[in-house]
Amino acid sequence: MSGASFAIVQSLRTERGKEWLWRLGVLLVVIAGAYAARDLEWGKVAASWQFLLKGLGRSWLLALASIFVGAVAAFPLALARVYGPTGVRHAATALIETVRSIPELMIIFWVYFTLPLVIGAQVDSWEAALGSLSVIAAAYLAEVIRAGLYSVPRGQIEAAETTGMSRLHIFLHVVLPQALRNMVPALIAQLVALFKTTSLVYAIGVMEFLRSVTVINNTLFAPYPLYLILALGYFVSCFAITRLVRWFDPKYQLVD
Amino acid sequence: MPRAPAALKPKDAFVDWSILWQYRGAFWSGFTVTVWLSAACIVGSTIVGLLAGCLGSLPSFFLRRLISAYTELLRNIPLVVKLFFFYFVLGIPGIPAALLALTLHQSAYVADVVTAGIRSIARGQVDAGLSLGHGYWQIFRYLIIPQMLRIVIPPMTSQYVAIIKHSSVVGLVAVQDLTFQTQEINVATFRGFEAATATTVLYGLLALAMIAAMAALEKRFAWR
Repeated sequence: MSGASFAIVQSLRTERGKEWLWRLGVLLVVIAGAYAARDLEWGKVAASWQFLLKGLGRSWLLALASIFVGAVAAFPLALARVYGPTGVRHAATALIETVRSIPELMIIFWVYFTLPLVIGAQVDSWEAALGSLSVIAAAYLAEVIRAGLYSVPRGQIEAAETTGMSRLHIFLHVVLPQALRNMVPALIAQLVALFKTTSLVYAIGVMEFLRSVTVINNTLFAPYPLYLILALGYFVSCFAITRLVRWFDPKYQLVD
Repeated sequence: MPRAPAALKPKDAFVDWSILWQYRGAFWSGFTVTVWLSAACIVGSTIVGLLAGCLGSLPSFFLRRLISAYTELLRNIPLVVKLFFFYFVLGIPGIPAALLALTLHQSAYVADVVTAGIRSIARGQVDAGLSLGHGYWQIFRYLIIPQMLRIVIPPMTSQYVAIIKHSSVVGLVAVQDLTFQTQEINVATFRGFEAATATTVLYGLLALAMIAAMAALEKRFAWR
């Protein structure tokens, strides 16, 4: 055996070598998959690429907008749950836990069907989708923020108290900066969960990714390429966000 | 397909709880479907997830990578997409498609919980077992699995509650679960508020029952 090939065999025993072999295998599987999918009705679907891309864009927009609104709403909720007086604390806890224990689809229906009854005006499906996803995001992010606030060691707060800082100063200069840094991975992880939840607003007629695929499928009837695009679109989007989390914190365990 | 109430007259805005009693049959049948569907998926995803999680924790690089590819693939595609794929593309009927999609989806999360549980057991215990002359299988069977099963009960509880919550999606492929029945009642009577409130309470009760059962299980198997 020549020296070079022996080096390759040797390197396959190491973690790095195996990693490269695994990547090669994944690449081969992807190529084989693409080769197997070459005869699907791509020509039929190709003309509607703009429509599909718009749908994916709407899903992204929904996820990003509702996580923003949700984060803004989640802050007072989390603060009320952690620092509020007893009554406020129980109210915030009840609100967060109620939203978290109801199925997401039910929340979407709640906002779409019963909000008009309460406010006495029609709500269009886009507003209802944005509203309900924001409510979901707010409840889950409130828990993320609470965990972030608790992640600051108690000793630091005590140290700040002994140096004579006021409670507001302790919160703004000791707790908040560290909590914010600690909660970034969990916050991005919530974005993955929310992005997947956007597929549920299909049910109230929002033209997001899932609905645009089903609409095109109803007219063209090319389920295999369309659902392949659908799965790929969601997978690539969510996987990209997941990698972003890993980049922020390599040891972070994704829980969504 | 659910529709919003088309024209709301002022008299519609009043709450009428009597429809809950009127439609008790629909609620009951939807509730039973949700319960047994969730129960079946809990059992299925626990078996698949335990198997995948244990395989992924074996000291083999490629097995680990294979299992993590499995979980990544299933976790990063929404449940509805899988459900629609089985139902519309592969043409599997509603209930088997729902069972399959829900079980596969949640099995990935269960596998991750199991892997994390096994990883949390100190490495020193495995070394101690080896030095006492146990084989890998014995260590797995008598050392790791009993400890892991206890550790994973709390995270498993939230996975099981998630299954109950996610089972609401199956109404989209015409499986007549609780959410589906609520939609039907809303379409028939425009009493969406009352129906949704009742359904929400029912889901809440189911989740609470699940949490209580798992807490009892945790207490029963706790180390004394």
